[in-house]
Amino acid sequence: MARMKFLCDSDRCIECNACVTACKNEHEVPWGINRRRVVTINDGKPGERSISMACMHCTDAPCAAVCPVSCFYTTADAIVLHDKDLCIGCGYCFYACPFGAPQYPRVGNFGGRGKMDKCTYCAGGPQQDNSPVEYIQYGSNRIAEGKLPLCAEMCSTKALLAGDGEIIASIYRERVQQRGYGSGAWGWRTAYREELAV
Amino acid sequence: MRRFLPLALLALLAIAPAPAQAQNAGMPQPLGDRGQPDAAELEMRALLRGEPIAGRISIPDAQAAKLIQPEGQQWRAFHNRTLAWIGGVAVLGMAALLGLFFALKGRIRIGGGWSGRRMQRFNLLERANHWMVASTFIILGLSGLNLTFGRHLLLPLVGPEAFTAISLAGKFAHNYLAFPFTLGLVVMLLLWVRDNIPNRLDLDWVKAGGGFVGGQHPKAGRFNAGQKLVFWITVLGGGLVAVSGYVLIFPFTVADVAGQQVAHMVHSLLAVLMVAAMLAHIYIGSLGMEGAFQAMGSGEVDYNWAKEHHGLWVEQELAKARQSTAPTGAKAAGAD
Amino acid sequence: MLIKRNDGQVARQRLASAYQGLSGGGMDRRGFLRQAGLGGAGLAALGTLGAGRARASGAATGVLDHAKPVTRVKNICTHCSVGCTVTAEVQNGVWVGQEPAWESPINRGTHCAKGAAVRELVHGDRRLKYPMKLVAGEWRRIGWDQALDEISAKLLQVRERAGPDSVFWLGSAKFTNEAAYLYRKLAAFWGTNSVDHQARICHSTTVAGVANTWGYGAQTNSYNDIRNARTMIIMGGNPAEAHPVSLQHVLAGKEINRANLIVIDPRFTRTAAHATEYVRLRPGTDIPLIWGMLWHIFQNGWEDRDFIRQRVYGMEEIRKEVARWTPDEVQRVTGVPGEQLKRVAQMFATQKPSTLIWCMGATQKTVGTANVRAYSVLLLATGNVGANGTGANIFRGHTNVQGATDLGLDVTTLPGYYGLDENAWRHWARVWGVEYEYLLSRFGSKALMEMPGIPTTRWFDATLMPGEREKTAADGEAYVAQPHSLKAMMVFGHGGNTVTRIPESIKGLEKLELLVVADPHPTTFSQVSGRRDGTYLLPICTSFEMDGSRTASNRSLQWGAKIVEPIFESRNDYDVLHALTRRLGFADRMFRDIETRDGKVVAESILREMNRGLWSIGYTGQSPERLKLHMEHQDKFDLVTLRGREGTPVAHDYYGLPWPCWGTPEIRHPGSHILYNTNLHVKDGGGTFRARFGVERNGETLLAEGSWSKGSEIEDGYPEFTVAVLKRLGWFDDLTGAEKASLERHFGANIDRAAWSTDLSGGIIRVAMEHGCSPFGNAKARAVAWNLPDPVPVHREPIYTVRPDLVAQYPTLPDRRGFRMPHLGQSVQARSAAAARDFPIVLTSGRLVEYEGGGEETRSNKWLAELQQDMFVEINPADAAARGVRDGGWVWVSGPENASRVRVKALVTERVARGVAFMPFHFGGFFQGEDRRKFYPPGTDPIVLGESVNTVTTYGYDPVTFMQETKVTLCQIRSA
Repeated sequence: MARMKFLCDSDRCIECNACVTACKNEHEVPWGINRRRVVTINDGKPGERSISMACMHCTDAPCAAVCPVSCFYTTADAIVLHDKDLCIGCGYCFYACPFGAPQYPRVGNFGGRGKMDKCTYCAGGPQQDNSPVEYIQYGSNRIAEGKLPLCAEMCSTKALLAGDGEIIASIYRERVQQRGYGSGAWGWRTAYREELAV
Repeated sequence: MRRFLPLALLALLAIAPAPAQAQNAGMPQPLGDRGQPDAAELEMRALLRGEPIAGRISIPDAQAAKLIQPEGQQWRAFHNRTLAWIGGVAVLGMAALLGLFFALKGRIRIGGGWSGRRMQRFNLLERANHWMVASTFIILGLSGLNLTFGRHLLLPLVGPEAFTAISLAGKFAHNYLAFPFTLGLVVMLLLWVRDNIPNRLDLDWVKAGGGFVGGQHPKAGRFNAGQKLVFWITVLGGGLVAVSGYVLIFPFTVADVAGQQVAHMVHSLLAVLMVAAMLAHIYIGSLGMEGAFQAMGSGEVDYNWAKEHHGLWVEQELAKARQSTAPTGAKAAGAD
Repeated sequence: MLIKRNDGQVARQRLASAYQGLSGGGMDRRGFLRQAGLGGAGLAALGTLGAGRARASGAATGVLDHAKPVTRVKNICTHCSVGCTVTAEVQNGVWVGQEPAWESPINRGTHCAKGAAVRELVHGDRRLKYPMKLVAGEWRRIGWDQALDEISAKLLQVRERAGPDSVFWLGSAKFTNEAAYLYRKLAAFWGTNSVDHQARICHSTTVAGVANTWGYGAQTNSYNDIRNARTMIIMGGNPAEAHPVSLQHVLAGKEINRANLIVIDPRFTRTAAHATEYVRLRPGTDIPLIWGMLWHIFQNGWEDRDFIRQRVYGMEEIRKEVARWTPDEVQRVTGVPGEQLKRVAQMFATQKPSTLIWCMGATQKTVGTANVRAYSVLLLATGNVGANGTGANIFRGHTNVQGATDLGLDVTTLPGYYGLDENAWRHWARVWGVEYEYLLSRFGSKALMEMPGIPTTRWFDATLMPGEREKTAADGEAYVAQPHSLKAMMVFGHGGNTVTRIPESIKGLEKLELLVVADPHPTTFSQVSGRRDGTYLLPICTSFEMDGSRTASNRSLQWGAKIVEPIFESRNDYDVLHALTRRLGFADRMFRDIETRDGKVVAESILREMNRGLWSIGYTGQSPERLKLHMEHQDKFDLVTLRGREGTPVAHDYYGLPWPCWGTPEIRHPGSHILYNTNLHVKDGGGTFRARFGVERNGETLLAEGSWSKGSEIEDGYPEFTVAVLKRLGWFDDLTGAEKASLERHFGANIDRAAWSTDLSGGIIRVAMEHGCSPFGNAKARAVAWNLPDPVPVHREPIYTVRPDLVAQYPTLPDRRGFRMPHLGQSVQARSAAAARDFPIVLTSGRLVEYEGGGEETRSNKWLAELQQDMFVEINPADAAARGVRDGGWVWVSGPENASRVRVKALVTERVARGVAFMPFHFGGFFQGEDRRKFYPPGTDPIVLGESVNTVTTYGYDPVTFMQETKVTLCQIRSA
C-alpha cells in the first residue's frame, strides 16, 4: 500500500505561494486559516531558503497521540485525518505538532478555539467521499478521485512533491545527484530529534 | 575566512607562474548557493543550537513563522508518559494509601465520645466559600483528568460521540468554573491566611506524626500542620494552577507555543498532585475522622472533638467568649 | 518564550478589521463558522452540548456535484506574461474548481499564488457589478444604454470643441489580442494617436532599444529554451516573484546543465537566493556594469569575433566607450568589485550558451532604452543571439502586454509596428477597407496624424498644460503641441497607481471634463481624486469570461475559451467597444469585416482581420483554427524545443505559432521559436537580423557578411524584400496570378515599391521563403543606433541621484521636447545635490508575487489579499537602527517632489543594502496617510488597501519612449 508523504525541495522553492492559494481555492479555506504556509529562513542573506509547510502526515503522529478525544485516524494510505465532529478544540494537537499544522478559527470564548482544521492531504474526512457535507467540513477529496494534493500539483517550480514516499524520495534523490550537492530531506532531524538516514 | 581566500590566492598566482589548470582551481568561492550551506546544513546548525527553526512569513500570524518546533515532541512525551505516570501514581497511590489506612486504622473516633455540646468553628461565609472552591475543584479536577485519562478509561465505555459530548461539556465547565474557583481561592487566602502561618507548634505536631501513629493527640491551634499544608497547597498550588490556566485559555496572548507548553506542564502537574492531596483532605474530612465533617457541614463542631484535635483553639475561643460576657474588671470566681 | 503582547493583538486585529472594514461585502460570520465545521449551532450556547453533524448547506461555491457532468475549459491566466494555461471545471454555468493543466508545455500544470487563485476573480465578490455614475460625489447605479449614451455624447461634444486629440484612450495589457486590436483601430477611426497601455511603463524601452538594434523588440528565445543555457544572467529582474513559473525552466536548466545562474540586482531577492553568484550594484548604474563586463571581455579576447564580423555593425565605437570603463571606474560608480565582474564576464562569454534575462530593473529608468541597447550589445559581442540557450530573454509583465504592444496600443505606431507615416496609414487603410482620405479626415491635420501621441506616463501633464490654441506667452515651453489639452480620458483596464507623480496626476484627474473607467474593478481612479461628477464606471468582464487569443512573452499565441458568461452586468470589451462606436458614428466602417452573431461580436473574425494585415511581424499564420488545434493538443509539444511531435495533428508547428509565423495560414508556417536563428531554414522557423536601417552607412555595408540562414539561396546579406528586389533577383514570376493581381490592385504604378510588409497577398513573403530567404532581409545588428539620442549607450546618472558628485561627469540629457511636451532633464537633475542631502536613501520599487499591477483586482481576491495585508518599505537594519525604526513599526517615507509622503510599515531586512529602500507598487486606497476606502463605490473596495509608492516617486523620463524612472529615486524614512 502506498504511504503518502510531502517533500519540499528547498532548493527550488521560491515562495511563490501557489501551494497556499491552491489549497485555499480547492477547499474554500476561510480567511485566517492557513493549512499550508511558506516560511523563508535567513531572509535576505545568502543561504536563504524557503520551505512550504503543512501537515506532514507523520507515521507516529504526535497530534493523534495527545488528542484527549482521540479524534484522529490514519487512513490506509498513511494520511492522518481527524473527525471535526469529535474535536473539542482543546489545542493540544498544536502544542504537540512539530510543524504547527493545526489551525483554529478562533471563534470561541476567551480567545478560545473552534474545531481544529488542518491539511487533509486533499483526502477529505470521515464523511462519505465527495459528498457536499464532506466538502463543507473538510474540503475536497482528491485522493478519492485518484488525484494528488493540489498544492503539489500546482507548485510553480515543482519544489513541493506529494505522493508515495518511495516515489518522491527517488525523485528527490535524482535531483540531488543531478545538482551534485545538497542532501537530506528537510525537517526530519530537527522535528523528531532523531538520527534518520534519508 | 572565505573573503580572504581570493586575495591570498591572487597573490600566489601573481608570484608563481601557474599552469592553466591552477588558475581555475584558484577561483574564489562566489556569493551564491553553490558555496552556501544548504537546507540540511542549516537545519543541522539549528538543531545543534537547540533552536526551533523559524523565518519570515508574510501573513500576520506570528506563530506561523516558526517552521519546526521540536519541543512539541518533548511535550508529547510529558503529556503521554510523564504526566500520566505521575498522575496515575499520585492519585491511585493516594487512594490506595487511604484505603489501606482505613483498613488498618479504621475511622478515627472522638476519644471522649460525643459531648453533646457544640461550638462554632466556621461561619457562613467560610463554609459557602469552601464549598464553592470544593465543588468547582471537583468538576475542574474531573474534567481535567478526563483530558489526560478519559480517552483510555471512559471512551471505550461510552463510545466516541458521547465521549466528545462529555468532554466538550467538561471543557466548557472547566473554562467557566475556573473563575469562581480562583475567586474562592482569593477569599480563602484573605479569610484564613492569618491562622495558617506556620509556627513551632506545627513542628511538634509533625514530629508527633500528627497523632495518626500512636494515638496521642499533639497540641494544635485552629489549624494543625496538616491543615496548614492543605491550605498552602490549595492557595499556592491552586494559584499557580489558576495562573497557568489563564495562560492556557487565552492562548498566545503572553506566550508562544513553547510558553504554552510550559504553562500546560505546570498546570497539569500541579493539578494532579493537588487532586491526590485533596483526596486525603476529603478522606479525613469525611470518612476518616468522626466529628470532622461538621466543621464545614453545619459549621459547629462537637466540644470534645474540638478539645482533642484543636485544644489550643478551644482555649482561645473560650477566653474570647469569657471576655465578651464578663463585665470589665470582674474576675472569675474560683475558676482560675 | 514570552512574546510581545502586540503580536497576538495584531493577529486579532487583522481578522477583526478584515471583516469590519469591508463595506457591505466579504464573508459573513455565519458563513465563516459554517465552514469552520461548527454546523449551525452557536458556540456559546451551552445548551447544545451535542456535537451534531454539520448541515450540508452547500453555500461554498466550490461544491461540486460529483454525480453530475463537469465540463473542462481551458483559458490562460490573466496575470503575468508567462501564459500559464488555466483548466477550469464548470458545472451549471458556475466555475467550481481549477485543475492542473498538465498538457501545457509552458506551465505543465503549475501556477503561482495568483494563477492558483483565479477562480475567485470570477466569483467576483468585490467586482464592479453594473455601470455607475458619479453624481455630486455619490455613486449611482445606471444602465448600460444610459451610460454609453451619455459618454458618447460627451465625447462628441469634446471633439467638436477641442478636436479628437483632446481625448486620451488608455488601453490595457489585460486586453485579448482582438480587444487590443479593436481599441487601436477605434483610436485610428476616432482620429488620435494618443492611445497607449501598460507597455509604456513596462518594456517600452525594451521594444525601442532592442528593435533599434536588430529588428524586433521582443523576447528572442523562450522560457522553455532557457533549459538549454549554460550561463544565465538575470539583471534587473526578479522572476521568482514576477514570473514564478519561469523559474521552473530556469532552475531546471540550472540543474540539468550545472548552469551558472548569476543575479545582478540591488536587492537580494527571492531569485538571488537561488543564484550561484549574486552581484549587488547601486541602482541606476547598469550601463557601467555592462561596459565593465565588456571591458574584461575585450581585454581578454573573449568576444565572438566571427559573429561580430558577420552579423554586427559598429562594434568599434562600442570598444571606444568600453575602454573608459576600467575596473576601478566601474567600482567607483557601481560599487561592484572588479574581481567579481571579471568572473561574471568570463562565465558569460566563455561558458556558453549564455542568455541575458531582464525585466523592469533594466527598463524603468531615464536611460532605459540605452540600458537595453547595452544588454543587446553584450549579447552580440559574445555571440549569444540566435541559438538554443542564448538570447535576450525579455520577461514581459502583464498577461497580454506582448500582444497589446504588437497590436499597436502605442502612441508611436499603428498595429504591427508600422509606425505612423503615410505608408503605414495607407497600408492599414487598405486592410480596413477604407479610403486613406477618410482616415485623414478624422484627424486634426496630417501632421497630427503622423505625430506620436501623448503617452500614459504624462497624460496629466498634457491635461494641465495648455494646448497650442490655448497657451499664452507666459507659458513659454510648457504647452502641449496639439490644438487643445486633454479634456477627456477613456481608461480600459489600467490602474491609476502605477504611474509616477500621483499628486500631480490627481490635479490632472480633477481637471478632466470626462473620466470613464471600464474595468472589472473601479481602480484607484475612482477614489484618489476629488472628482464629484463627470465620471463613469463600466463593468468589463475578465478574459476568463470571453473568447480571445493572447500572446505570451515568448511570442506564442494561445486561444482562451470562455469559461462562464460575464457575471452580473459586466460585458466583454468587444461588445462594449462595438456599442460605443455605434454611438460615435463609425461602427459601420470600423466593424465592416468583423462578424457579429446575435448582437455579439465574434472574436475569431477579429483575429482573421488581424491575420490579413499584420505582415510585418508575422501575425498572419495564426488563424483561430490553428490556435485552437494547439490548445487541444498541448501535450503533443516537446518541452524544450516546443515542436509538435511527428504523426500528430500539430506536427512541426511550434507551440502557439510564435510570431513571426510567416504567410497565410494555408502555407502552415510553424512559427519562430528562436528569433534570428541561422541554423534553421526560414520555413522551419529560422531567421536573420532585420534589414531595417538601410543598406549602407558611412561606406560600410549594413548587410550581413558571410552569414545566412540555412538553405538560403542568397549566401550573403540582402535587403528587405520588395517587388523591385524580386524583379532584380528574377523571382517576380514565382508569384501566382492572384498574388500579382492583388499587388497591382493595391499599388498600381507603384508596384515596385510594394514591400513584404505591405503586400496583402503574402506573395512576396511566400516567394522569399521558397528561396530560403527572410522576407525582412539579412542584415547586421546595429551596435550603434545613430537615430537615438545616445547612439552608443553612455552612462547617465538618474535624475535624482544619491551621487551628485558624479553628475558633472555623467549628466542626464539637457532639457528638450518630446511627445508633444517639454521633457526636462538637467534642470531637474540640478536639484539632486540638495535632494540627496535631505533624501539620502535610494528608493526603488517592484513586484510581489501575490499581487499584479495596480493591485486592485488581486487585493480584492481574498486568497491573495490575506498573504500581503500591509504596504511596507524594506529598510536595511543599519538605516533602521539609525532612525529608531522597528521591524513592523510605522514609518513615513517622503519624496523630494510635491512634499509627498506615505505612511507604511517598515520591514527591516538585509535584502536591501545600506542606503537603499524598496517598496512594492501594488497598493492603493490610502493617500498620504488618509484612508480613502469610503470613496469607492460600496461593495467594490478591495479587501486590502495601502499607500501607493507612486505617491512619492518623481519626474524622470526616457527620451525615446517617456518611460518613467520608478526604479531609482530618492527618499527619506522617519519613524511615524
